[in-house]
Amino acid sequence: MSQLNELKLDNMSMNMIAGWMHNGNVIMVEQMPILGGYIGGVEETAICDVATTLTSFVLMNASFHLDGPIHIRWGTTTTRETMKIAGHAAAALDAHTDLLIANQYYSLAGPCTEMCLTEIAAQSMLDTASGRELVSGCAAAKGVTDDFTTGMEARMLGEVAMATAGMSVDKVNDMIELLVKDYERRYQTAPQGKRFQDCYDVRSVRPTHEYLEVYHGVRERLSELGLRLR
Amino acid sequence: MEVADRPLTVYDAYMRSTEGPKLAESHWDAKVVPEGVACMKEKYDIRFGSEFIPVDRDLKERLFLAGMELLVTTGIYNTDTRRVIKVTESEIMEGIKKAPRKLQLGEYRDAVFMEPRKGNASQKPVIQGGPTGSTVSEDIFIPMIQSYAQEAAVDTVVNGVMATIGGVPSTANTPFEIKATLAEIRGMREACNRAGRPYMAI
Repeated sequence: MSQLNELKLDNMSMNMIAGWMHNGNVIMVEQMPILGGYIGGVEETAICDVATTLTSFVLMNASFHLDGPIHIRWGTTTTRETMKIAGHAAAALDAHTDLLIANQYYSLAGPCTEMCLTEIAAQSMLDTASGRELVSGCAAAKGVTDDFTTGMEARMLGEVAMATAGMSVDKVNDMIELLVKDYERRYQTAPQGKRFQDCYDVRSVRPTHEYLEVYHGVRERLSELGLRLR
Repeated sequence: MEVADRPLTVYDAYMRSTEGPKLAESHWDAKVVPEGVACMKEKYDIRFGSEFIPVDRDLKERLFLAGMELLVTTGIYNTDTRRVIKVTESEIMEGIKKAPRKLQLGEYRDAVFMEPRKGNASQKPVIQGGPTGSTVSEDIFIPMIQSYAQEAAVDTVVNGVMATIGGVPSTANTPFEIKATLAEIRGMREACNRAGRPYMAI
């Protein structure tokens, strides 16, 4: 169930929550505050993000909150600005509550590209090191075109999270900076990548050799930067 | 800070949204929220440096307090009743206390647990794989979801939106939306079964 932008909800959301609450369901409430929208810049959006997260638990009986600060120009969660919002909001909530918080992934580049996997790796490091309890993804190529998502992006998300857990936050900040600096200069020419049908043998559900090679290349780069991938 | 009589529920939220201050949605969007946020930014001196994750304890505390006070001073707007739901600080604290601290996602050997990690703990977060609401063609829905469920790093799966059902677009607020949603759920479960993880949370 999603709140509305910004600091809004509607009757339908409350009706659905009432049903789930009485069924004893796990209730996830999401909200993706928009950077550059009504509330303005990075700090403003982070303040709103904290308020929105609290709303999920205080008024909507959430079991956990799914965040996703999104950039109004690029429609992604992996930009420098939106990651700062998510990182600060999560760290503030983590330091002062035991609330269960999550974040979701919208990358600019699409499947089977080095840029897509690098965007995901950067955000996975961010969410893990800022104390989030769940990471959810990935809507590659901004999640707006049919079939531009595959399991390989989730493999990167998971493997990077595992390698990041326990690292010093200072080290993580430095590594994210290097990764973001590399891909943010390519926003205008970000590759859309390939459809699931072109990334996998659909019948056997095995990724193509090409995608495995791209994945291997990004893994190598992350290892060179100091990430201990298993 | 006054003492709350009990934590709020979604029923309290609804009742307050029938009684709270009434105002136009455009006024909420363009004036109330932006001005409220700007006021909190100023009051708590919220300024970020170059880092993505703050290490300054004081900044983390000020940001938390700014967010909480924003919720108290502005509230939440119900777009149907066009009224504002107000909450107090003590009600927020009760809501935080009442929130679950441990969730089981999935069942049997496919179950995983979601618990507070506290900072960058060595315990990894739960990994939820899936298209995250992206649209997926009907004919490849199951293999695509299987591509997530079969990954060793993935703990739970999140669905995509089935673009059509029986070739008809699954347009919101039509019967086909419901039909497609039910097909998504069946497809998700089938994909988990094919991956050998039948009780994975979806």
